[in-house]
Amino acid sequence: MAVDQILFWVFAPISVGSAIAMILQRNAVHAALFLVVNFFTIAVFYLVLGASFLFAVQIIVYAGAIMVLFLFVIMLLGVDQDESLLERLRGQRVIAVTLGVGIALELIVAIRAGVGFATKGAENFDTVANKGGNAVALSRVLFRQYFFPFEVTSVLLIVASIAVVVLASKKRRAITRADATAAAAAEREAA
Amino acid sequence: MTTPISSFLVVSALLFSIGTIGVLVRRNALVIFMSVELQLNAVNLALVAFSRLHGNLNGQVLAFFSMVVAAAEVVVGLAIIVTVYRRRQSASVDDFTVLRG
Amino acid sequence: MLDAIWLIPLLPLAGAAVNLFLGRRLGRAAGWLAAGLVAAAFVVAVGALFDLLSLPADQRAHVVNAFDWISVGSFSVNVAFLADPLSMTMTLVVTGVGALIHVYAIGYMDRDPRFGTFFSYMNLFVFFMLMLVLADNYLLLYLGWEGVGLCSYLLIGFWYERPSASSAAKKAFVTTRIGDAAMLLGIVLIWVNLGSLDFGAVFGRAAGELTQGAATAVSLLLLAGAVGKSAQLPLHVWLPDAMEGPTPVSALIHAATMVTAGVYLVVRSHVLFELSGTALTVVLVIGLVSALYAALASIGQFDLKRALAYSTMSQIGFMFFAAGMRLYTGAMLLLVCHAFYKALLFLTAGNVLHGLHDEQDMRRMGGLRAEMPLSTAWFAIGSLSLAGIPPLAGFFAKDQIVSFAATSDRGLAWVLASFGAFLSALYIARPLFLTFFGRRRNEEHAHEAPALMQAPLAVLAFLAVFAGLVLGLTAEGGRLAGFLEPALGRAEFGEGALSDGVLMMVSIVLAVGAVAIAFWVWASGRVDWEAFPQRQPELAGWLSNAFYLNQLYAWLVQHPGKGFGRALTVVDDRVIDGAVNEVAEDVGDASHLAPRIQRGYVRSYALGFLLGAALLLLFLGLRA
Repeated sequence: MAVDQILFWVFAPISVGSAIAMILQRNAVHAALFLVVNFFTIAVFYLVLGASFLFAVQIIVYAGAIMVLFLFVIMLLGVDQDESLLERLRGQRVIAVTLGVGIALELIVAIRAGVGFATKGAENFDTVANKGGNAVALSRVLFRQYFFPFEVTSVLLIVASIAVVVLASKKRRAITRADATAAAAAEREAA
Repeated sequence: MTTPISSFLVVSALLFSIGTIGVLVRRNALVIFMSVELQLNAVNLALVAFSRLHGNLNGQVLAFFSMVVAAAEVVVGLAIIVTVYRRRQSASVDDFTVLRG
Repeated sequence: MLDAIWLIPLLPLAGAAVNLFLGRRLGRAAGWLAAGLVAAAFVVAVGALFDLLSLPADQRAHVVNAFDWISVGSFSVNVAFLADPLSMTMTLVVTGVGALIHVYAIGYMDRDPRFGTFFSYMNLFVFFMLMLVLADNYLLLYLGWEGVGLCSYLLIGFWYERPSASSAAKKAFVTTRIGDAAMLLGIVLIWVNLGSLDFGAVFGRAAGELTQGAATAVSLLLLAGAVGKSAQLPLHVWLPDAMEGPTPVSALIHAATMVTAGVYLVVRSHVLFELSGTALTVVLVIGLVSALYAALASIGQFDLKRALAYSTMSQIGFMFFAAGMRLYTGAMLLLVCHAFYKALLFLTAGNVLHGLHDEQDMRRMGGLRAEMPLSTAWFAIGSLSLAGIPPLAGFFAKDQIVSFAATSDRGLAWVLASFGAFLSALYIARPLFLTFFGRRRNEEHAHEAPALMQAPLAVLAFLAVFAGLVLGLTAEGGRLAGFLEPALGRAEFGEGALSDGVLMMVSIVLAVGAVAIAFWVWASGRVDWEAFPQRQPELAGWLSNAFYLNQLYAWLVQHPGKGFGRALTVVDDRVIDGAVNEVAEDVGDASHLAPRIQRGYVRSYALGFLLGAALLLLFLGLRA
C-alpha cells in the first residue's frame, strides 16, 4: 500500500468520527475541540492531495485563528453550559437526520455518476501543476489570473474588521427605535 | 497518488451531511456556527480534490478564497452573536422567536 | 273620420297622462276632462260609424295602419286599427257607456283625496279597452288585454289601504294571468301555423292551412284567456272580490266592458273556433254551466254588489252559450243590452251605498223606495230589463238566445237555458225587492243622490228600455244582427218542435213568474226569508259561499304553495347558506393552519431551506 492510501485510511475515519462527535457533544467547548481535530485531519488530506500551502494555511488560519476565536467567545459569554436534551420542535430531529442521510446518499450517487469510483487524479500533477512547488505554483496562478479577486478579498477583510469594531462596541448609537427610546429613558434617569 | 479521487469526495459528502444535521439539531448558536464551518471545510476539501482531478490549481485557489471569506464571516458572525447575547442573555436559537408569523 | 280612428284610443290616453301629472292641481276639473275626452272619443266613433255605413256592406272592414311596430326577421306586426261592424259596436259601447259612467263618477268620488289619480286610471282603462277592440292583429289585442288587466288591478285596489281591497286586486290579476298565459301560447301557435297575426291574414288562411287539431289547440288556449277575463268557470273567483273597488269601477269594468272582452275575443276568432270540431262545444258548456252556477250563487249573496257580480258572470255565461251555438249576433246583442242595464244597476247600487253611507249588506236595507224614489225607478228598470220582461231590452236579447237553442235541435240545452233565464229573473228581482221594498231594516236616513249622478242613470235607463226594440226586434236579430252580418255571418235558424210564438210565451211566463215569486218571498213579508239561514244552514251556506269554490281553490293552491315555500326555505337555509358558511368556515380553518408554519424558530426555517435544497439537488441529479 502506498503512503497516501495509508494516510487516507487512517485519517478518514478520524475525520468523520470527530465530526459526528462534535455534533453530539452537549458541552460547547468539547464540540469546539472536536472540530479542531477535524480541521487537522482535513489539513492532512490537503497534504495528500498535493496542496501543501493550503495544508499550512488550514492549520494556521482555521485551527489556529478561527477556532481560537470561537473558544474565546464561548468562554467570554459563558455559554459552555450543557445543552438540554429535550427537543421542543416536533419531528425536527427525525427529519434532520433523514435529510442528512438523504443528502449524503444523493451526493454519493452523484459522485459515482459524475466522477466514478475508480478515477485517480491527474498523472503529472506534481510536475506540471505544482511546478516549482505548490506555493510557487499557487502564487503564479493567484497573482496573475486571480489578482483582482485577491485585492477584493483584502477589502473584504478590512470591511469585516470595521464591522466587528462597530458591532461589538458597548456604547453605540441606537440602531433601532427601541434602542433610541431605551437610551433616552436611561439618560433621563441618569440625569 | 493511488487513492481514487472519489474517496475524498465521499468523505467530503459525509462531512457536509454531518454539518447539515448539526445545523438543524443543535440549539446553541455557537455550535450551529461551528457546524456551518464544518460544512465549509467539507466543500473546501471537495474543491481541492477536484483540483487534483483536473490537474490545475483553480480548485485550490477557490478553496483559498473560501477560507479567507470564511474567516471574515466568522469574525462578523461572532460579533453578532455577542451583541445578541448581550441583549437577550441567551445563546439558544430557540429563544429568538421575533420572526414569529 | 274613418281614417282617424286612431284618435279614439288616443284621446283617453291623453287624458290619463294629463290627469296623472296634473290631476292634483285640476281638482274637480280632472273628472270633467276625463269624461269629456271619452265623450269626444264617442263622437269620433259615431263619425266613423257613419263613414263605415256609407261603404257597401261587403267592404265594411277598413284598416288604418298607424305605424310599424315590430319587425324582426320574418315576424312583423304593426299598430293597425280595424274598423268593422264588430269593432265599431264594441267601441260605441265602451265609449258611450264609459262616458256616462265617468260623469257619474265625478259625483260619486267627489271627496276622495286621490280624485285625479282615479280618473287617470279610468281613462287609461278606456284607452286599453279601445286598443283591444280596435286592434287589427292579435298582438295589439293582447296589449290591450294585458293593459285592461293592469287597470283593473289598479282600480280594484284603488283604496289600497284596505287589505281586502289590495288582496282582491292581486287575486284578480293573478287569476286572469293564468288565462292570459294560455292565451299568449295560443297567439304564438297562430303565428307558428299561419305566419301572421293580422286578423285578415289569419282568418283568410285558416281554412286552408290550419289542421283541425291545431285549430282546436289555438281555440282552447284563446278560450282560456277569455274565461279568465270574463270570469267564467273555473277562473271566475276574482269577480265577486273585485267589488272591493269603487262602484263606478264595478260598473265600467266588471259589468259593461272588460268582462265582455272574452266574448269579443271568441266572437272575433269565430273562424278559428268553427274550424275546430270541439272548441265551440266547450264554449257552450262553459257558458251554460257558469250561467247556472252563478245564478244560484247570486241568490245566496247578501252583499248587494256581490249579488250583482254573480249576475254579471251569469249573463256572460249566456253570451258564451250563444257564441257556442254560433249565434254570434245574439251574443253581441246581449252584450250591448247587458252593458246598458248592468251599468244602470251598478250605478244605482252606488246611489244606495252613497245614500246609506257605504252600507252594502241587503239585510240592513229595505223599504228605501220612500226616500229614494228615483233610484228605485232606475233599479226597477234595470232589473226588469235583465229579467227579460217585454218590451224592455233584455227580453229581446235573452229570448233570442233561448229560442235559438230550441230551434237548433238542442233540447237539453234549451231546457237548461230556460231554467237559467228563470233563475236570472229571480236573482235580479231579489235585490230590487230586498233593497227598495219590504220592511225598513235600517235606522239611518237615506238621501237621494245629487243630480250629477242621476243624469247618466236616466240615459242608461232610457237605453235599457228601448235598446232592444231598436236593435233586436225580429227573431232573426234585427238591426244589430244585420249590421254585424258582414263580419260575423248569418246564424242558421232551424225549425224546432215549437213555434216562435210558443217559445216567446214560455220565456215571458218564466220571467214574470220569477219576478212574482221574488216579490212574494222577499217583499211581501209573508215569507220569513231572514230565518232561512238558521233553518237550513247547510243549504244557505252552500249558496252564500258560492258552493265553496273559493275555499277549494285556496286549499288546492295554498297547500302545495306553502309546502313548496317551506321546501325552498330549507334549501335556502341549509344548502345555500350552508355552502356559503361552509366556505367561510373552511377559510377560517385554513387561516388557523397557516401561521403554524411560521413559529419563529430559526431551526425550523433552516429545515425548510435545506429540504428545498435537497429536493432541488434531487431534481437536478435525476435530470442529468
